[in-house]
Amino acid sequence: MKLLMSLALVSLFVSAAASAQNIPRTVSGKPDFSGIYTPPATINATGPRGNLIFNADKMAPLLPGAEALLYEERNGDPYHDEPRAMCLPAGFPSGMLYILPIQFVQNDDYLVIIPELQRAARIIPLDGRPHREGIEPTYYGDPVGHWEGDTLVIESVNFKRWILDDYHYTDPTRNRWHSDQLRTVERLTHQGDSMLYQITIDDPEIFTEPFTQDFQLSLRPDWEALGLLEYVCQENNRCAGGSCEMSEAQQ
Amino acid sequence: MILRTFFSIIIFLLPTTQGFAHHSEAAEFDSNDPVRVTGVISAVEWNNPHVWFYVDVSNDDGSVTTWGFSTAPPGMWMRRGITKEVLEIGATINVEGSRARDGSNNASGRRITFPDGSNVFTASEGGR
Repeated sequence: MKLLMSLALVSLFVSAAASAQNIPRTVSGKPDFSGIYTPPATINATGPRGNLIFNADKMAPLLPGAEALLYEERNGDPYHDEPRAMCLPAGFPSGMLYILPIQFVQNDDYLVIIPELQRAARIIPLDGRPHREGIEPTYYGDPVGHWEGDTLVIESVNFKRWILDDYHYTDPTRNRWHSDQLRTVERLTHQGDSMLYQITIDDPEIFTEPFTQDFQLSLRPDWEALGLLEYVCQENNRCAGGSCEMSEAQQ
Repeated sequence: MILRTFFSIIIFLLPTTQGFAHHSEAAEFDSNDPVRVTGVISAVEWNNPHVWFYVDVSNDDGSVTTWGFSTAPPGMWMRRGITKEVLEIGATINVEGSRARDGSNNASGRRITFPDGSNVFTASEGGR
C-alpha cells in the first residue's frame, strides 16, 4: 500500500512538474504571457453578455447607501451615459473586458497589456518597485506586478472615479461606476493555451468586502500575422451621441 | 464568387444577434426601425471605430438617396477573413440594418447580401 501511495505521489509530482515546464517562460524562467489573446470570456457566466460586465450575483454586498455611488441614472448627456462612445477613455477594468483582442508583451522587467480597444497600453513594472507617489488619479490606475509562484499578481491603485464596466448595455436606464478608492488585483495564470484571468475589485466606498470574478483569455497565434490594428476613436465616430454627421459621400 | 461563397460559410460560424462595438446600438440606432435597401456601393470608410460604407439607392422619382451603414471595426472584419475588397465600389448589394435614431439616412449595417445570394455578417460580435 505504501509503495502504491509513493508511486501515486511521484506520478503527481512528475505530472505537475511537466505541466509547469510546458508553459512558455522568459529568459529568467518566469512564465511568459506574451501573445495575442481573445477578449475575456466569463467562466460560468450567469447573465447576458457576462463577458463584459461583472455579474451582480457574484459581487460583494453594497455598503448602506452605496447604491447611488455604484449606479448613476442616465441623464441624457452622452459624455456621462456612455463616455467611451464619445471617445473618452474606457479606463480599467472596463477597457479590459471588451470584445476586441488583447496583446501581452513581456520581458523580465515589464509586462505591457494592450487592448486593441483604444490601444490604451498598461505598462506594468515587474521589478518589485512600489506604486508611484505624487501622481494624480488616472483612468487606468497605477499598476505594479509581482510573482506568486507561476502566477503574476498585478495590483493597481490611484484611480479616478469612472465607469466600472459595460453594465449600461444591459440596462438602458443607468450605468455602473467605481469610486476613486478602487484597488484592483489581477492574477494571471497559464492554463494550457489559455490564461486564467482573475480580477479582484476592492472598492471600500461601495462594497462591504473585495470580490473576485474569473475570466479566461485564449491565445490566438493565428492572429499574430495581422497583429493589433490602430484604433483612433475620433477617426470616424459619425453617429456619436445619437446624432449622425453627414459624410462626404452623402453631401 | 469563390470568395463570396467562403464568406457565406463564415456566416454560419458567427453570432446571428446584432452586436455592438464601442457604443450602444440602442443609443444611436433603433432596432425597431429596420432598414433594407438595394443599391450601388459608392464609398467605403475602412476606419475605426466603425467601418462605414455608402450605398446609392435609386428612388421611384429618379432621385438617388445615399445611405450610410455603420458596421464592425476593421479588425473584427479582418479576423473573420473579410477584407475591404468585398466592398467593391460600383457593386450592387442588399443591406439589412437598423435606422439611426435621428432619422437621417444612416443605419447600423448587420448583413450584406450579394446578387448571387451569398452574404456577409457585418455587425460587431457580442455575447461571447
